[in-house]
Amino acid sequence: MKHFVSALALTAALAAPAFAQDTKVIGVSIPAATHGWAGGMNYFAKTTVERLEATYPQLDFVLATASDPAKQVNDIEDMLATRKIDALVVLPFESEPLTGPVQNVRNAGAWVTVVDRGLAVPGIENLYVAGDNPGFGRVSGEYMASKMTSGGKIVVLRGIPTTIDNERVAGFQSAIEGKNIEVLGMEHGNWNRDTSFTVMQDFLSKHPQIDAVWASDDDMAVGVLAAIEAAGRKDIQFVLGGAGMKEMIKRTMDGDAMIPANVTYPPSMIATAIEITAVGMVSAAPVSGNFIIGSVLVTPENASTYYYPDSPF
Amino acid sequence: MSDIAKPPRQIQMGVIGPILALVILVAMGAAMNPNFLGWDNITNVLARSAFIGIIAVGMTFVITAGGLDLSVGSMAAFVAGLMILVMNKALPTMGVGVPVVLLGMAVALGAGLVAGLVNGLLITRLGIEAFIVTLGSMGIYRSLVTWLADGGTLSLDFGLRTFYQPVYYGGLFGISWPIIVFAVVVVLGEILMRSTAFGRHCAAIGSNDQVARYSSVRVARVRLLTYVMLGVLVGVATIMYVPRLGSASSATGLLWELEAIAAVIIGGTVLKGGFGRVWGTVIGVLILTLIGNILNLTDFVSPYLNGAIQGAIIVLAVVLQRESKPGH
Amino acid sequence: MTTPVLALSGVSRSFGPIEVLHGVDITLHPGRVHALIGENGAGKSTTMKILAGYQPASSGVILLDGQPVTLSSMGDAEARGISMIHQEFNLAEQLTVEQNIFLGRELKRGPFLDKPAMQATTRDLLARLDCHAAPDRVVSSLSNSDKQMVEIAKALLRDTRVLVMDEPTAVLTQTETAVLMAQVRVLRDQGTAVLFTSHKLDEVKAIADDLTIMRDGAVVWTGPASDLDEHQMAEAMVGREVSDLYPPKSTTVGEVVLQVSGLSVPGFAEDISFTLRKGEILGIAGLIGSGRTETFEGLAGLRPAKGAVRIKGRPVTIRHPWQALDHGLCYLTEDRKTRGLLLQKGMRDNLTLQALHKFSQVFLNKSAEDAALDQAIADFDIRGSRSVIVGNLSGGNQQKLLFAKTMLSDPDIIVIDEPTRGIDIGTKQQMYGFIRRLAEQGRAIVVISSEMQEVIGLSDRVLVMRRGRIAGELTGDAASEDAIVRLAMGVGQAATPDKEFV
Repeated sequence: MKHFVSALALTAALAAPAFAQDTKVIGVSIPAATHGWAGGMNYFAKTTVERLEATYPQLDFVLATASDPAKQVNDIEDMLATRKIDALVVLPFESEPLTGPVQNVRNAGAWVTVVDRGLAVPGIENLYVAGDNPGFGRVSGEYMASKMTSGGKIVVLRGIPTTIDNERVAGFQSAIEGKNIEVLGMEHGNWNRDTSFTVMQDFLSKHPQIDAVWASDDDMAVGVLAAIEAAGRKDIQFVLGGAGMKEMIKRTMDGDAMIPANVTYPPSMIATAIEITAVGMVSAAPVSGNFIIGSVLVTPENASTYYYPDSPF
Repeated sequence: MSDIAKPPRQIQMGVIGPILALVILVAMGAAMNPNFLGWDNITNVLARSAFIGIIAVGMTFVITAGGLDLSVGSMAAFVAGLMILVMNKALPTMGVGVPVVLLGMAVALGAGLVAGLVNGLLITRLGIEAFIVTLGSMGIYRSLVTWLADGGTLSLDFGLRTFYQPVYYGGLFGISWPIIVFAVVVVLGEILMRSTAFGRHCAAIGSNDQVARYSSVRVARVRLLTYVMLGVLVGVATIMYVPRLGSASSATGLLWELEAIAAVIIGGTVLKGGFGRVWGTVIGVLILTLIGNILNLTDFVSPYLNGAIQGAIIVLAVVLQRESKPGH
Repeated sequence: MTTPVLALSGVSRSFGPIEVLHGVDITLHPGRVHALIGENGAGKSTTMKILAGYQPASSGVILLDGQPVTLSSMGDAEARGISMIHQEFNLAEQLTVEQNIFLGRELKRGPFLDKPAMQATTRDLLARLDCHAAPDRVVSSLSNSDKQMVEIAKALLRDTRVLVMDEPTAVLTQTETAVLMAQVRVLRDQGTAVLFTSHKLDEVKAIADDLTIMRDGAVVWTGPASDLDEHQMAEAMVGREVSDLYPPKSTTVGEVVLQVSGLSVPGFAEDISFTLRKGEILGIAGLIGSGRTETFEGLAGLRPAKGAVRIKGRPVTIRHPWQALDHGLCYLTEDRKTRGLLLQKGMRDNLTLQALHKFSQVFLNKSAEDAALDQAIADFDIRGSRSVIVGNLSGGNQQKLLFAKTMLSDPDIIVIDEPTRGIDIGTKQQMYGFIRRLAEQGRAIVVISSEMQEVIGLSDRVLVMRRGRIAGELTGDAASEDAIVRLAMGVGQAATPDKEFV
């Protein structure tokens, strides 16, 4: 009711132009905040939508979060049927189940922006905004190799078994090839603190000498660090996480030797995608194509640039 | 208290089945990695069993009395989140110290008690199926913690966490607190189940609640108490959990309810109620934790197959004790 | 005489080291009704289960049409034309009559169920049995006798040549029993061999052609049923002379301990008022469905009820069974298997369940519990291994255990619903003795029973219920079967002049 009233007030205030122009509706469909990175992504989606609604009165946004692929499919179908969206920004929960529904949106004549996870069939989307997963792995691997010039023994914690995880690990492995770095073991920590804690405890029991850990994600790095601290092991020189959680960036910024660096995989890419899509809706500027957000190495020198204290991630 | 001469007992697979499965697992682990039986690994395994273990002891009573609670995992996440929020809020006025930790503990126990009470009252007073009530509260608590954390992670103030940490990592005589608390809960639970009227009443209600009612047992009150007890134990587990990583998020306690239920059943408690044993639940929890531990310690199977191995061992442990379920 | 269709020859059966059947011979002929009688625990059930393929024999031979066979399972026995009907029916309560009859052998037309054909056959089968239940009624809504008919119809569909029935009349009213007997005669005349057990010797006398009497796992008498009268049957079963079944009645009763006025149990009973005195046995008679059980469940806090109740002169409120027990009132259910005893548990856990507080301060005193069990076994003559689960005890021993369990909580007012349902004559006599002894100890007792002989023989005073109300009160010689039936059916004069009847 409150929204309705404020919408009326807004219409009255902007009377003439609002009626003259067609209001365009942009649907945003993203997975719910089930882990830290997704939480950050949700935060950026919400703040961006609020900001753009204020900036462009002729744009209307519908934001839906889904806790599983089936719910996301329903959300998208509802947006098309009941809100008649002109554009869809979607971060697919999984590629396969969402390909069909997103294709339908495109066939209905709406603009489609796909974020982060590609669809199973290429060419459906008008705009593709994504992080660089192989690059994420490569940057991490190169950093490891540069820190351990004389080689060393490392363990790796992987995420939930997905294409994203596979691409990152493949990028990492090719980057450390021939650099005399021995991977003692790889296990799935599932981007989860508790699981990573347990996995790391077992790595520590199994291997008497570990030089460094590629935790590949900052949530997992939290668990890894707690396990190392509890075991009182001094052999591990550093832990490399990833994705740029604010607490971890802060530690790098403060010069913590255990967290000497981070590799970005910004959850704010959803903001980029929504913003570009909005620009496409309100102007004639060409915005279709692929937009790959590179993974950047964060070091104590540049850390302050990547520190967002207000973000939940 | 002494038992007078009992009729001679045959060896029952129901009794030795889970123990046998545990022994096989330990033997496998020891054969595959020499560090397996090391002090560090043993304490690691016991300490990480403690959360699920403490909850599973409470779950044993609920299931024995013919109930079920699917909400414990998200309840733990919610209680952890609430506890962190309260402690962070109280920090400026109380400062880092024992009082603020005690406050946190009281919040955890209180929240667990209230959560259990709500589940129990809905089930016993309104007569709604336990499955439905706790499925509902599972969703509610999970959403509440996501909301409290604004989609992200709730972290305990760093200084406070360092102060509170010994509750997980510290201990007595080299045995960490979670293990000690787990052991105490198990011993008390075993006594409660075996040697008190409450335990006997739980088994009677789960066996046939009509008979219990006709026998003047206060069925609703006993049922309610099992849920309240489980809620309080979730609070106890959370008290141990929070100092470990100092954080709670919507991913905290994910699937704990299923692990706790699986542990209870592996241990020989009957899923539809009527018979329960706390020591069996301990074996069940250890089996579940050990599977993960052994798979991490060896490179024997692809990590993709971890779930399959776990599933197979859970089924095997139950098959091993199939023969002597009461009433064939 | 015809060739036997099914026979056991020298069959024994052991459970572990204990032999429970010793060389049993029994012969069933087509077109004849064979009664198998004996006390609880005499081996009747085991014999029947071996005949119907539920359990294998440990030694001995099963002869089908004169040929030795092995019945590997009940399915195997059924395929050979032998069906068994249990005392507790084996029906899917939520399915319809037709679905139950065709369960597992549904008729199909192509991939679909042929409902019209199944309905027609069901109607046909039920008509043969003179039963009028509609094929699409849900079984849970049927009366016990109709359920029995569905079971029989199910057996008929399977071309049954031998029908084994375990106490078919135990849960039936007298009218229902008469219907069943007529139908058994129809089956017999169609050439089916029928074997049944019963504790009601008048029934046996009325319908059986052949008779086998068992005692302690062995056959003690077999021959034409016409050779023995009921008294001789009872003596052969018990192995001693059965004289007076009922103990002498008491001469003195004490003060009023229970005073009920205007008790109503919504939907079942209304305006129930009566008094009960110390040392008195009050019988409650009436047809099944007249609200007897519900009235006293309401009194005991097991159902919602309204009305004024005074115990020993003090007004009391009873909303839960445990409150009833606090006031010394205890209701012993008629349904010992689903409401009285935990069938999966041992004797000790069952015995002390109601009085557990007596055995626990903080911890349970298990040795005291064991001592209580010893005492109960001695006092109530409970037979059976202490390690066995209660579900495996015979009906009589279960009833004695239920009795012992109730007495352990030491109630002053005891309501006993159907004290002797499904138990043998020897145990019945014992039960009557126990009940009378309790009255002599100064307890006040209510006995609800469908067996009129029992109500008359045991009670000092009889209340007859009809349609949820008290139809009348009978004392002394006025309590005759005839008078009870008149009141229960609502015909003839009431014995108490202050009540009116339609």
